[in-house]
Amino acid sequence: MPSLEFIGLKRRFGTVVALDGLTFSVPPGQVFGFLGPNGAGKTTTMRAVFGVVALEGGEVRWDGEPVGEQQRRRFGYMPEERGLYPSMAVLDQVEYLGRLHDMPTQAARDAAHGWLRRLGLADRESSRLDALSHGNQQRVQLAAALVHEPDLLILDEPFAGLDPGGVDEMSAVLAERAADGVTVLFSSHQLDLVEHLCESVAIINHGRVVAEGKVTDLERGDHPRLTVRVAGDAAGGWAAALDPAIGKAEEVAAGVVTVALEPGADSQQVLDVARAAGAVELFSYANRRLSQVFRDVTGESV
Amino acid sequence: MNRSWWRTTRVIAGRELRTRGRSRAFAVTTAILLIAVAAAVVIPALLAGKSKPSRVGVVGANPASMTTIVTEAGKVTGTKVTVMPEPDSASAEAALRDGSLDIVLVDGSEVLIKQVPVGGSSSGGSLPNAIASIAGLTKALPPGSLAGGPQLALPVRGLIPPGASLTRRLTGLFTSIVLWILISTYGQVIANGVAEEKQNRIVEVILATVRPIQLLTGKVLGMGLLSLMQAAGVVLVFLGLGSAVGSSVVHGAAGGIVVAGAVFMVLGYAFYCTAYAAAGSMVSRQSEIAATVVPVGIPLIVAYALSYTVLYANNANAFYRFLGFLPPTSPIAMPVLYAAGDVPLWQVIVSAALLAAGTLVMARIAALVYSRSILRTGARLRLRQVLRG
Repeated sequence: MPSLEFIGLKRRFGTVVALDGLTFSVPPGQVFGFLGPNGAGKTTTMRAVFGVVALEGGEVRWDGEPVGEQQRRRFGYMPEERGLYPSMAVLDQVEYLGRLHDMPTQAARDAAHGWLRRLGLADRESSRLDALSHGNQQRVQLAAALVHEPDLLILDEPFAGLDPGGVDEMSAVLAERAADGVTVLFSSHQLDLVEHLCESVAIINHGRVVAEGKVTDLERGDHPRLTVRVAGDAAGGWAAALDPAIGKAEEVAAGVVTVALEPGADSQQVLDVARAAGAVELFSYANRRLSQVFRDVTGESV
Repeated sequence: MNRSWWRTTRVIAGRELRTRGRSRAFAVTTAILLIAVAAAVVIPALLAGKSKPSRVGVVGANPASMTTIVTEAGKVTGTKVTVMPEPDSASAEAALRDGSLDIVLVDGSEVLIKQVPVGGSSSGGSLPNAIASIAGLTKALPPGSLAGGPQLALPVRGLIPPGASLTRRLTGLFTSIVLWILISTYGQVIANGVAEEKQNRIVEVILATVRPIQLLTGKVLGMGLLSLMQAAGVVLVFLGLGSAVGSSVVHGAAGGIVVAGAVFMVLGYAFYCTAYAAAGSMVSRQSEIAATVVPVGIPLIVAYALSYTVLYANNANAFYRFLGFLPPTSPIAMPVLYAAGDVPLWQVIVSAALLAAGTLVMARIAALVYSRSILRTGARLRLRQVLRG
């Protein structure tokens, strides 16, 4: 399965550096989260995939090849600033975008029907776009990105402005596309959602990647923490027996000891020490939330 | 530009054609144009039907036989005639000049009129020609004159050098108005459409898969086809109604003006459509569009405004002749000059060729401006800023 690679992307706007040698890759067939504070360069990066922004350096590759017109026909895009024809009928509009992606007329019409039905807009097919609610317009925009069954789907803030029902629906569609082998890249500030939906993420700031990898790895971090409670030891005295080469107690609260593991240390050795002291009631990784990771690597709040 | 390129461009053109063709604005402009054309053809014809009888002066020894000739000619051409004997050629010419006579038949030598129309005295069916023919036939030919070939009709001579007839001038005026309306209306629609796409950001979705030049080409082709259909409708109504009411506008030399007008309509649209698209791409909001679109139409306004100085004068000034060859103004100026009879056909062809060449240059510049501007949002762009890159 082809993967999407960003290699050393550079772009300035006047004196502002938007992309500063941005490099990361998106594994195939996954829902991939693309995170970063406002102005970090997310939108510029996504636009670069479609050639809507010219790069001053670096390139975007799909399946090992620099992205060109032919590949873009097989991509789907939902830009940050939503854009469709306000006075055009919903079905015509989705069909039109399908045809622009080289679909024959009938196939484009059938696919447009299919997606609009799937997104609950079957009865609004002949309505003008501007007669629809914001959420429904967003659904049409999603249908427009999906109508030609793209191999790569790029969505800029797809969840912005959706109600909880809309969020669930959008999440389900993205997960389902990825399950079908489509590579899905989306940006979002709703990190709880990203945590839930994505296997991997990249976090960028000032046009550079500041963290990337599997969500679970990032949450665990370089210095994983364990939370351990031994029955009857409210002061966490058992932890004094820990070998400093394995880890040390950072904090004790109501009998729960937070142990900072040394890189590469085996968590099971901590468990052995705890069990020697008594019955272990709690033993788990104390992961940082993704939002904490985000704050740590960008130095900014979400 | 392979087949896939054109297929996508056709899809864009098709949408443009359908959307604009179904719009209320299109229906309204078509209705207005067709009514205007119908009026332009029918009203002169109605007025012509009520025209006064032609006053024909006769000079010569035998007024009775000449009166018979003139009356016959009147019957042949379906014109009412009044015959007025004149004592001599000098007084007849004076009467022609001051308008108290329309035609003078000088026995056995010639037919005099005030001015021969540009179409030439040979354009059949007119009263002076009928008089000349009949008078020529009835004239006894002296035995020796056959050496110079049989000259059956008398010559028709104009007192004033030939200029363009009022019919031609009116056709020219009418052509320039239709051209101006069509080009600037469609130009505005294109500019608005481009600005709309830029404002509501659909360009980003479209340009993610289509090149700017394809979007531009598709838009101007779709709109061009629509304007061509509208222009064809106008010409059909013109010709259909014209022949139905027997309008001289359709039958006379004015037909050539309509053809020239149609050629310049197509070329003029081609020249201006890309410029209007580029102008539309430079604004971020449709409400700002006048600032970039109005300057594009100024050459047309100048050519149109100055056309009155040509249509109501006997000879076009040098400046207007210059405008007739300048691509931005020639779509209106050249048909006007041609209608006024101030330029020969070959100059019309040269001007059309220059306009076609200018269209290619304009398309290149406009495509550059359009591709550079269409994705740049924010403040309205200035042309110099866009061209610098």
